[in-house]
Amino acid sequence: MKTSKINGVLALAAVLAAWETIARAGLVNPLLFPAMSRILGSFAALLASGEIPGQVARSMERAAAGYFLAAAVCIPLGVAMGLSGRVSRALEVVVETLRPIPPPVVIPVAMLFLGIGDWMKIFVIFFSCAWPILLNTIDGVRNIDRLLVDTARTFGLARGKTILKVVLPAAAPQIMTGLRISLSITLILVVISEMIGSTDGIGYFILNAQRRLKVDQMYAGMIALALLGYFLNQAFLVISKRLLHGR
Amino acid sequence: MRAERRFNVSGVGLFAALLLLWEIYSRAAGIQDYLPPPSAALKALVEPSVARALLGHLAGTLGRFAGGYFLAAALAVGAGVVLGYSRFAYSVSEVIIELLRPMPSVAIIPVAILCLGIGDAMMIAVTVYAAAWPILLNTIDGVRNLDRTLIDTGRTFGLGRLKILWQVALPAAAPYIATGLRVSLPIALILVTTSEMVAGADGLGYFILDEERSLRPANMYAGIVVVALLGYALNRLFLLVEARALAWKRGLQTRGEA
Repeated sequence: MKTSKINGVLALAAVLAAWETIARAGLVNPLLFPAMSRILGSFAALLASGEIPGQVARSMERAAAGYFLAAAVCIPLGVAMGLSGRVSRALEVVVETLRPIPPPVVIPVAMLFLGIGDWMKIFVIFFSCAWPILLNTIDGVRNIDRLLVDTARTFGLARGKTILKVVLPAAAPQIMTGLRISLSITLILVVISEMIGSTDGIGYFILNAQRRLKVDQMYAGMIALALLGYFLNQAFLVISKRLLHGR
Repeated sequence: MRAERRFNVSGVGLFAALLLLWEIYSRAAGIQDYLPPPSAALKALVEPSVARALLGHLAGTLGRFAGGYFLAAALAVGAGVVLGYSRFAYSVSEVIIELLRPMPSVAIIPVAILCLGIGDAMMIAVTVYAAAWPILLNTIDGVRNLDRTLIDTGRTFGLGRLKILWQVALPAAAPYIATGLRVSLPIALILVTTSEMVAGADGLGYFILDEERSLRPANMYAGIVVVALLGYALNRLFLLVEARALAWKRGLQTRGEA
């Protein structure tokens, strides 16, 4: 374990050093690939000036709003569809019609109704996150051991309590899978929607840096985005481990 | 999942009711500039000039999708088999993989515009980049998890390294690869439409955004219907091909389990 970590750090250093040498030697167009030291320098400067933290914070507000909204709507809906054949049959056609729409295509519709403000992005994130959460919740609830639900009923648990104390905990691992898939989708969609219709956020920042030919800033923005993705994923793993162990 | 395939009355009913509600609301509220009734979108869909334009854009999108998706599949399966088989190759590239993977793939679009300009090459490159990840990671997993006996048997029969990769490792990892390919399918479509929106001159993504900006929402919805149909058809086609291609595998497994 430890040696592999050392290997990883060494390999990372090698990659960075290789980039630096190749860029300095003039083997690649410096306009497209500036030296790594310049990129890291401008990353540090943008970090210190508060530019990158500010843009990331704007993106995160939208991402969080859309993501939690999707969870708040789709988990209860998924439980209802998983438990009741009637509900799932009624909603099936609508779900199956909307689901194959690639989410970026919804951006123009959202722009028409909501302009290019925060709600447009929140809606787009909501729309794209909804499917993995909904489908995994339905599956998780459907695959619960019927014995669990029947036992709860035998012990006279009310319907609401059965759902809260029996159904949700039993379906939790698969709901978590849906939430995890949606997490990476959230990040993709917040970046896309900021590229297409926005005046701030990290997605806008990266595309704008490219258009102004501030290439070092563009790469700095991408580093910020990669770090963000990495830490969000790690945070999710820690939280879900806690939640699933606590049951 | 229900075994019997009865006509879903309540499902179709709800769908029709929603469409009807939309139609009535849009006509009554007089907001057709924002929300044209579904009938207007349908009318746009069958109007010759719009339909012809849509067909052209569909061809563009489909071409870029196919180019990006198949190129991604070829590259990622090839790289995945090698990385899954050879510890050395994996340890060398692990850092690069772990660095790039958490970055949302669309962030590569500006870099691609910079390096390749605006055009098909850039859109296909972006699609390849994004679609390659699930295929690559699944292929690596598949090759790693394959039964060592298979490889040893191959070696016993005197197969060379390349032949073992091609004739033993690749087919054994096929179900994993299929999973990766299925996950990549919608991703490829997302990246094609996104890049068409950000820097395209044709294609369904460009068409939809352009019609929105020109305040022709009926045409925009017509475009969305076409994209949705495309997504649906591609998924169906994939499942069909997958069932065909992996039929031998299923037979093998049931025989093994029995």
